[in-house]
Amino acid sequence: MKCYLCALEKTNTDAVAICIVCGMGVCMNHLVREEVEVWEGGYPFPAKKLKRKLPRILCKPCYSVYHEG
Amino acid sequence: MSLTKRSLAELVGTFLLVYFGAGSAAITLMISQGANPPNPFNIGIGALGGLGDWFAIGMAFAIAITASIYALGRISGAHLNPAVTIALWATKRFPTGDVGPYIASQLIGAALASFLFAASVGMDAVKIGGLGATAPFPGVSFGQAILAEAIGTFLLMLTIMGVAVDERAPPGFAGLIIGLTVGGIITTTGNIAGASLNPARTFGPYLGDYILGGNSLWHFFPIYIVGPIAGALVAAFAYDYLSKD
Repeated sequence: MKCYLCALEKTNTDAVAICIVCGMGVCMNHLVREEVEVWEGGYPFPAKKLKRKLPRILCKPCYSVYHEG
Repeated sequence: MSLTKRSLAELVGTFLLVYFGAGSAAITLMISQGANPPNPFNIGIGALGGLGDWFAIGMAFAIAITASIYALGRISGAHLNPAVTIALWATKRFPTGDVGPYIASQLIGAALASFLFAASVGMDAVKIGGLGATAPFPGVSFGQAILAEAIGTFLLMLTIMGVAVDERAPPGFAGLIIGLTVGGIITTTGNIAGASLNPARTFGPYLGDYILGGNSLWHFFPIYIVGPIAGALVAAFAYDYLSKD
């Protein structure tokens, strides 16, 4: 699979990941990888933050929309 | 989350429960002052709208509890009730070291609510409304009051176990269902012994009434310790027994 965003720029780069939101194949330059905190539990027990975080990969357009809210 | 923050959340949640819940009972008594109750079993709550008065009080509790659970449930667990904390501890779901701070916070929150309710409304809230304190109604014995409180808290704790503690429960509904359950119990059994279901909810108005010159009702306090704690314990152990293969 090729990077969709590179293809739009008329370049030909192999995709290394899939955006979890839109499903777009993206290269290293067009992805954002973050580790998201995971909380477990809730009423009637306090929620606990787990030690291990959950890795998530988004393409840059989805990442910017997500952070704009 | 630190124990201090969790305890503070319990304090705030119990404050909201007592200010709005017990406060609604005090306001009902103030509104109905001078009304002619149709029988001696009616002390004023019910003089205006019959069981509708109790429904309104129940809904005030339901809304305050639901809001507190959704607002604070992830922080402290929003027990808001020493009987719930003790039942979760007794079934090994809550650490022993946290029980004391949680209960102390619930009692302080309830007391603060009663004092600030009196400050908000004035001394009529104490003299006429009794700060919404609970006591057995005319003709209801000590033992009957304990039984009513135990059965009411049994239903509350059974619901908590079924809709919140059990991992198989559908997520997201606990706050709403538990709030409405308390509202329903109050509507039905409020005119027996006040439907406290919660030692902290009774402690706050009792302390407020005692210090601010209202009636001293401390001789009834054992009802609201023994009944709710017994009911919650039986419900928690019964649910564990019933839900295991």
